[in-house]
Amino acid sequence: MTDDDDLRSRLRRTDPAAGLTPAAPEDISNLLEKTMTTAVVRPRFDTRLLTMAAAVIVLIAAVGGFLVTRPQPSSGPSQPVAAPVTTELAAPPAANAKCIEPTAAKLKEYADFAFAGTVTGISRGTVTLAVTRVYLGKPVTEVRVAQEGYSSETLMGSGRFENGLDYLVASNEGGILVCGYSGEATAPGLQELYDEAF
Amino acid sequence: MNPDERRRRFEAVAPAVVDAVRRYLARRTDAATADDVLQETLLVCWRRLDDMPAVELLPWAYGIARLCLANAERSHRRQNRLVARILRLDPPGAVTRMVDDTDGELAEAMARLRPDDVELLRLWAWEDLTPGEIATVLGISANAASIRLHRAKQKLRDELRKHSHPGGHEELTEGRRP
Repeated sequence: MTDDDDLRSRLRRTDPAAGLTPAAPEDISNLLEKTMTTAVVRPRFDTRLLTMAAAVIVLIAAVGGFLVTRPQPSSGPSQPVAAPVTTELAAPPAANAKCIEPTAAKLKEYADFAFAGTVTGISRGTVTLAVTRVYLGKPVTEVRVAQEGYSSETLMGSGRFENGLDYLVASNEGGILVCGYSGEATAPGLQELYDEAF
Repeated sequence: MNPDERRRRFEAVAPAVVDAVRRYLARRTDAATADDVLQETLLVCWRRLDDMPAVELLPWAYGIARLCLANAERSHRRQNRLVARILRLDPPGAVTRMVDDTDGELAEAMARLRPDDVELLRLWAWEDLTPGEIATVLGISANAASIRLHRAKQKLRDELRKHSHPGGHEELTEGRRP
């Protein structure tokens, strides 16, 4: 027996898990079922999705450009004074939003836009949030997010945007950061994460 | 991979992962934290199933558990700091010490090592990992793991030797824990 074997044997005799009884098969089954129903798989990067996203961006840019540059009508009803400054976010999360542990440092590194807001409406797959605070990025008063199928379901809290609830949302290049970086404002630790990051 | 295939693959490998990660966590934290972190580790494994290696599955899972545990401990420390601020009490120590009634010398020698060295020795002796597998857990190169493990073993031997032959430092042994 070598010195290494001796040392290893001695350490093993102090293993706190040596007396740990194996988990019951039904407990393991329950745990796995809970895992597979709680966590929803993020979709693989899809080129069709990319094409659609690009088309949507072009459309938004075109409409936005038109709205900004069009001549103001000299007559007719005036524009509302407090017209919302709106930004749009895509539902599928950014490609770099891997489900590793959320940290304030990574949040700060990944996010290019972060805000607190309240859902004021959900219509045909689009969630509208009234912004109460912008942590990072350009100041806006309203954010619209696509809520499609399961792609938003890794949000902290219930997993989906719900009317009337407050959310903390971070995004990168227009895609929401999930996996513990966005969700209901009351989700444990999320507010602290934002306070620490920004 | 379609959803049914994912489920089948996960169900095939997860029981072994659950068992190993339970042990890994029982060695490093309290029971309540271990339960929470086990659940979190499985969630991450499930989400990252496409990245799961065919070989060295357990070191990969330990690596995830390690990050989840670090995250949970950071969160606990934040809570402790808050409680300490409110109650004006010192937060409890976050270091998990090896408690052993049968080999106090070893426990004390381990307590004198750096936490990184202790962790290398645990992974080697308790999780029974090779230096290459330890490298996977810690996210370092196999060469670095091998060198650091060798040094950690040497440091532990040195500490044990000092303890066995304290020379002129007998007074240090008087306060030894049972």
